[in-house]
Amino acid sequence: MATVSLRGLTKRFGDTAAVNDLDLEIGDREFVSLLGPSGCGKTTTLRLLAGFLQPEAGEIRVNQEVISSPAVLVPPERRNMSMIFQSYAVWPHMTVFENVAYGLKFKRLSREGIGEKVDRLLQLVHLAPLKARYPAELSGGQQQRVALARALVVEPQILLLDEPLSNLDANLREEMRFEIRRLHEEFQITTIYVTHDQAEAMVTSDRIAVMHQGSIVQVGTPEEIFDRPKTRFVAEFIGKTNILKGRLHEEERVFFGEGLSVRVAGHGGFKPGVEVVVCIRPHNLFLVGTAAEAQEWNQKGYNLFSGIVRRRIYFGDAIDYLVELPLHRHALRIVASPSDRYELGQKLFALAHPNHCVLVREQ
Amino acid sequence: MSVPGTRVLEKIREGRGFGFRMWDPTLPVWIGAALLLVFLMLLPLGAIFVSSLFNEQGLTLRNYLEVFTEAAFLKAIWNTLIISFWVGCLAVLIGSLLGWLVTRTDLPWKKAIRALVMASFVTPPFLGAFAWTLLAGPNAGLLNHLYRFLTGSEEALFNIFTMGGLIFVMALYSFPYVFSMIANVCELISSDLEDAANILGANKWKVALTVTLPLAAPALLGGFILAFLHSLSLFGAPAILGLPAGLHTITTQIWALFQYPPRLDLAAAFSVPLLLATIGLIALQKKILGRRGYSTVGGKSGQRRVVQLGKLRVPVLLLVLGILSLSVFLPYGILLKAALSKAWAVPLTRENFTWGNFAFTFFKYGDTQAAIFNTFELGIVTATVGTCIAALVAYITNRQLLRGARYLTFFALAPLVIPGIVLAVGLFIAYTRPPMILYGTVWILFVAYLTKEMPIGFSQAETTFKSIHPELEDASRIMGANRLLALKDITVPLSRSGLIAAWSFIFIGVIRELSASILLFTPKSKVVSVVIFDLKEEGQVGAIAVLGILLLVVSFLIILGVQRIAGRDFFVTRQ
Repeated sequence: MATVSLRGLTKRFGDTAAVNDLDLEIGDREFVSLLGPSGCGKTTTLRLLAGFLQPEAGEIRVNQEVISSPAVLVPPERRNMSMIFQSYAVWPHMTVFENVAYGLKFKRLSREGIGEKVDRLLQLVHLAPLKARYPAELSGGQQQRVALARALVVEPQILLLDEPLSNLDANLREEMRFEIRRLHEEFQITTIYVTHDQAEAMVTSDRIAVMHQGSIVQVGTPEEIFDRPKTRFVAEFIGKTNILKGRLHEEERVFFGEGLSVRVAGHGGFKPGVEVVVCIRPHNLFLVGTAAEAQEWNQKGYNLFSGIVRRRIYFGDAIDYLVELPLHRHALRIVASPSDRYELGQKLFALAHPNHCVLVREQ
Repeated sequence: MSVPGTRVLEKIREGRGFGFRMWDPTLPVWIGAALLLVFLMLLPLGAIFVSSLFNEQGLTLRNYLEVFTEAAFLKAIWNTLIISFWVGCLAVLIGSLLGWLVTRTDLPWKKAIRALVMASFVTPPFLGAFAWTLLAGPNAGLLNHLYRFLTGSEEALFNIFTMGGLIFVMALYSFPYVFSMIANVCELISSDLEDAANILGANKWKVALTVTLPLAAPALLGGFILAFLHSLSLFGAPAILGLPAGLHTITTQIWALFQYPPRLDLAAAFSVPLLLATIGLIALQKKILGRRGYSTVGGKSGQRRVVQLGKLRVPVLLLVLGILSLSVFLPYGILLKAALSKAWAVPLTRENFTWGNFAFTFFKYGDTQAAIFNTFELGIVTATVGTCIAALVAYITNRQLLRGARYLTFFALAPLVIPGIVLAVGLFIAYTRPPMILYGTVWILFVAYLTKEMPIGFSQAETTFKSIHPELEDASRIMGANRLLALKDITVPLSRSGLIAAWSFIFIGVIRELSASILLFTPKSKVVSVVIFDLKEEGQVGAIAVLGILLLVVSFLIILGVQRIAGRDFFVTRQ
C-alpha cells in the first residue's frame, strides 16, 4: 500500500513549463483525479509519476522514499506501478491472455500461478471467453478491459490512468466509469486518474485535483469542488455556471449596481469593498411566474432576480432558459424541470438560496 | 485543444526529454548508428567537392572552367536536359493516364495492371534498354524484321539507337514513379470535393478543370520532377542506346572520364552540376508537394465515384495493355526467347532451342559465376546491414532519442539527391587513398550500395515505427520490462514485417544497381549488372538474357514473399 507526495514538481519543455511547482499529497488507497483542460499538464504529471519523464525541480515520494527528483530517477519498471494508456496500448501481436500475463513474467511465478492469476482477472473484467483472441478481434471496450486486467494483475502499489475512456463511445464510457470505481473498491489500490471529463472524475474519485496551466488550483472531494469552487476557472470548468461580477459590501452581500444585490453564504475571506465574482449554478436557480410568489421566497431569504425569457432550449429531461435581467447587462442561465414552462418574452422571477451563491476568486 | 498545449502534449507522447540523465545501456548504440550514418554520407560528397577544386598544381577552378567550356561536355549536358525533359513529359502522360484509370474508372483487370506496372518498376532500365536493342535495332531488330517481312520494304521501321529511341525506353521505366504518385492522389481526392463543386453549379468538365485537376496538379508536377530526376541519373540505358549513336549524356560522360587516361578531377567537377541540379529539383518538388492546402487532399471522407467507361472499356483496356506490352511483355518475351535459342534472331524452332545459354552462363563462363556470387552476397550483406542502420536511425528520429535527431533524417535521405554515378565518383576518390583503401574489393561496392539504398530503407523503417504507438513500449516498461526487454518483446515483433520489407527493397535495389557499380568494379569484384554490360560488348546475347531473367525472377520472388509475410501479419492491426 502506498502514499504518494508530489512537492514543488516542475517539468519544462523548451520554454514552456508543462508542470509548474506542483504540490499534491495522495493518501493510501485513495483515488485522486487530475482534472483539467488539454495542455494543463496533467498527462505530464502522470508521466512524471510513471518515471517516463524526469522533473527539473521538486520531487516525487512514494511511502516517503524519493523516486523522482532532478538527481534521482527510479526507472518505470522498478516503481511497482501500473498504467492504463489513452490508446490502451494493448499489444497487437499478443493474445488477450498473453497481454495480461506479460507483467507476471517479471514476478518469478510458476506457469500455473500465472495462468491462475490471469484467469481470475479475466473473469473479473468479463473477458474469460475471449482470452485466445487477438486485440484486433476485440471491440474498443473489450480492449479497454484487457488494459485494465493487464494493469491490475500485477497487483501494483499504484495505478495510473491516462484518459482511459476518451476513445470510447458515450454509452460505454458511462458504463466503464462505474466499472473503474468498482474495481477500485475491490482492489483498494492507490490510484491517480487523469481526465478532462468532469463527470468521469466525479463518478470515480475520492478527491479531485483541478489543474490549470501546470499547477493545481483546487483539491477536494467532488462535492467540495462542485459546490464550493475557489476560483472562477474551477467554477467554469466543472459544470455550467453563471458568473456575476460585483463589489462585496458589508458582510455577505454583493452589489452589482442598479439596485441589484445578492446575499452570499460566508465572505470567503474577502474584505468588504473589494471586487468579487459570484457564481451560481444554473440548476440552483429556480423560476416562479408571479410577483407574489417571488416575494414569498424573497422573504424566506432567497435572492431574487426579475427578468425576461430570451431563449429556451428543450432537452427532454430539462429546459434550459436564458433569462435577461433588463436593468443590468446580465443574463442568467437556469436549468428548470420540463414542467416549468414559460414563454419567450415572458416576465418572470428567478430565485437562488444564498448557500448556492458562491464567492470565488477571479484567478 | 489549444495549439501550444497540443504541441507540449505531442512532445510528451514522443517521450522527448526522456532518459538523458539516467544511464541507459542503449545510448551508445544510438549514438554509434547516428555517427556512422553521418560519416557514410559526408565522406563521398566531401571528396567530390575537394577533388573538383584541385589539380596537379593545387587549388584551382580550372576543372570547372574546362568542363564548362569544352563543347563535348556542354553537348552532353544539353542532351541530358532534352532527354530528361521529354522522358518526364512522356512518363507523366503514361503514368497519370494509368494511375487515373486504375483508381477512378471501372477498367477491368485493375489488379493485373497494377502488377504489370510494378513489373515495369522492378525491371532494371539497362535490361529494358538491352531488350529493346533486340526488338528495334535497325538491322536485326525483331520488330524491324517483322516490318520488312510484312511490307517487303528494305527500310527499318524503328531505330532504337537514336535520341528518340532512348527517350522512349527511359520513359517506359520512369512512368511507374508518376503512376504511384497519381494513383495515391486519386485515391485521396474524395468525390465529395467534386460533388461540392457540382452542387454549386459546375458541370462535369468545369469540375474536372477547376477542382480535380488543380488538386492533382502538384502530384503531376511532382511526378514530372521525379521522372526527370530518374532519367538524369540513369547510366545503363543511355550507355546502351546512346553511345552507339555517339550520343553522350552527363552520366556516360562521367563514365568516359574514368576510362583511360582517367581524369578524376574533371569527373568530380562534372558531377557537381548534376548534384546541384538534383538537389534543386528535389527541393522544388518538396516545396510543390508540401504547400499548405494541397495536403488537405487527404481528407477523411471515403466515397470515390467510379467513372463508367462504357463503350470505351475494351479499347481503353487494349491501349493500357499495349503500353504495358512495350515495357513488360515484349522485352520479357525477347529475353526469354534469346535465353532459350541458339540464335536469338531466328524463330524459336525445335532446332534453334537450347538450354546451352543457361549452362554457359552458370557453369562455363568464368566471370558470371563470380559475379552472381558477388551480387547476391552484396545484396544480402547490404540489405542486412542497411536494414539495421536504417531501423536504428529511424527509431532514433521517430522516438526523438537524441538531441538534433531530426537532422539525422536529412542525412538518411541525402542519397536521394546523389545520382549513383556521382556517388561512385565520390567513393572512388575517397576510398582509393589511405587511410581506407577499399577500391579493388567488393567492400567499396558495399559502401556504395549501403549509401545509395539508405533512403528507401530509412523511409520504410520510419513508416513502420510511426505506426507503432510509443505507448505500446511505455506499457511494457511500466509492467516491469527494462528498455532492452521492451524493444525485444514489443518493438521488434511489431516492426518485423515492415523491416523485412525494408530488407527486400534494399536487396532488390542492390542486385539491379549499375550506375555506381560501373565505376567501382574491378576484375576481381564484378557484379551481374556489370557483367551484362560487358557481355553486351562481346555480343553474348544469350548469356545476358539468362542473367537478366535471373535478376527478374529473384526480384519477383522476393516481392511475392514480402506480400505473403505482410498478408500473414494482417491480423495485427496497429494502433
